[in-house]
Amino acid sequence: MNKVCCGPGYASPIEAINAPREKLLYTIAIYTGTGIQKPDYLATVDVDPDSPTYSQVIHRLEMPGIGDELHHMGWNACSSCHDDSSMSRKYLILPGVRSNNLHIVDTATDPKAPRLYKVIEGAEIKSKADLSGPHTVHCLGSEIIISFLGNAKGEAPGGYLQLDKEFNIIGRWENSMGGIKFGYDFWYQPRHNVMVSSEWAAPNTFMPGFDLEEVGHLKYGRELHFWDFEKREPVESFYLGEDGLVPLEVKFHHNPDSTHGFCGAALSTNVIHWWKNSDGKWQWEKIIDIENEMHPEWPIPLPGVMSAILVSMDDKYLYLNNWLHGDMRQYDISDPHNPVLTGQVYMGGLLGKAPEVNGVEVAGGPQMFQLSLDGKRLYVTTSLFSTWDNQFYPEIREKGGVMLQIDCDPENGGMKVNPNFMINFGKEPNGPSRCHEARYPGGDCTSDIWL
Amino acid sequence: MTKYKVTITNRDNVEYEVDAKRPILDELRDHGVDLPYGCKYGGCITCAAKLTSGDVDQKRQVALNNWQLDNGYVILCVARAKSDITLEIGTESHDKLYRNPFLEPLKSYQLKADIASKEDI
Repeated sequence: MNKVCCGPGYASPIEAINAPREKLLYTIAIYTGTGIQKPDYLATVDVDPDSPTYSQVIHRLEMPGIGDELHHMGWNACSSCHDDSSMSRKYLILPGVRSNNLHIVDTATDPKAPRLYKVIEGAEIKSKADLSGPHTVHCLGSEIIISFLGNAKGEAPGGYLQLDKEFNIIGRWENSMGGIKFGYDFWYQPRHNVMVSSEWAAPNTFMPGFDLEEVGHLKYGRELHFWDFEKREPVESFYLGEDGLVPLEVKFHHNPDSTHGFCGAALSTNVIHWWKNSDGKWQWEKIIDIENEMHPEWPIPLPGVMSAILVSMDDKYLYLNNWLHGDMRQYDISDPHNPVLTGQVYMGGLLGKAPEVNGVEVAGGPQMFQLSLDGKRLYVTTSLFSTWDNQFYPEIREKGGVMLQIDCDPENGGMKVNPNFMINFGKEPNGPSRCHEARYPGGDCTSDIWL
Repeated sequence: MTKYKVTITNRDNVEYEVDAKRPILDELRDHGVDLPYGCKYGGCITCAAKLTSGDVDQKRQVALNNWQLDNGYVILCVARAKSDITLEIGTESHDKLYRNPFLEPLKSYQLKADIASKEDI
């Protein structure tokens, strides 16, 4: 192991895989849109099987106000700063999609009981950068960029906010949005000077809820964008058409030399794969196509709605969800052109295949997930977004969300639900809440990028 | 200063006076009414309430489609009273705010104003 540096994260993906296992994780939980007039909060979950409080929420950090809709989050620093001993993975950044506030949370002083360090007010972001609807947070060496899906009025395409390491607003990161119509997720691969971004919709479109008709009226995205990362401008876009309706999460291989990456097109419920060919040209193809399923009582076939994807730290497996069908899947992507289905489990969903898991009725379906660095434990939550939950799974108001853990076999493939782990957010002290994205203090499979 | 009376039917018909120039959300919160809200610019429907009588000016809202407007919904963070009004507030009033888009697709005139057809409006 390289002992020269002592910054955050790990020298390489293989060192991350061999890191100590996670004992805590953080997940956000929302009351926004539930009818309970309490702030959203960051929950600390005990995931150490040897602890007396295993599989419980052991701390709750409430945000200062109501109505944020916490959603995704990200670290102030990751393995991209591994050589910088002045940096540490200390602060978790929690954007409020609706309020526009950015909450900076200190998780290092007491990892079990994170504390609020600073709030960057949404109004300040609107006035200084003309942005709203924050989503993905990535650190960028010692600085931070956050994708925002709209301008201050909630109109697409928004842009990227850059913060310095003291969490001061620098301004807009990008030099140009080119012809990009919508924003959402992004990931970058510095050795190839590339960033890839995807498209959801304008905040004014997706925040009130989902309508199929608005997809037909081109209010939702269907393109992927390749950026010149150093010049901070898009240089090439791929129109994915019907195969790529609502392309959401983008992930590169963790191997910093690889050009392969993946995107889950939520409504088409397809996985799109891209790579650079021997001529130095970016290529894309559809590699997974989840068929719509008939629901016994519905007039039209039901798409899976693949709202998230994740690549294991060894780049061997791709995990995906079908939020409406109710299944989580594992594919062996050793050959990224030819994925092989190696695992599948159901939890909740509209098809009624697993209405109850570990003794709890599951409202919602598998939605967000986070994988341990060693690839053996996948933590899965069930709520997507308050207004969308309320449309598709109205019973989640009373039942709340759940967090489950799936045991994954990184050697031979395969998934099964861990019968000893269940966190029922329906039983929270202030009433049913909904958990969403999770992060581990020591890094995870969606945080770290190597320079 | 023009004032109007707001009656909240699902809070024991409690009555408040509101300033016609300010958003109803801000006015009611100043009176101590605990109301949900999110974006505070009319884009996200978290603060939606059902208007059962009277008129409001909510031309700044961009969240509601015509089906929701026809069901009486108003976005309190941008709506101003134009007369005495009666409201049902909170998520209890949201019975016709959300629909499953696969089970109950909208007709073209029920979409949001910028994409709706003009028939039957």
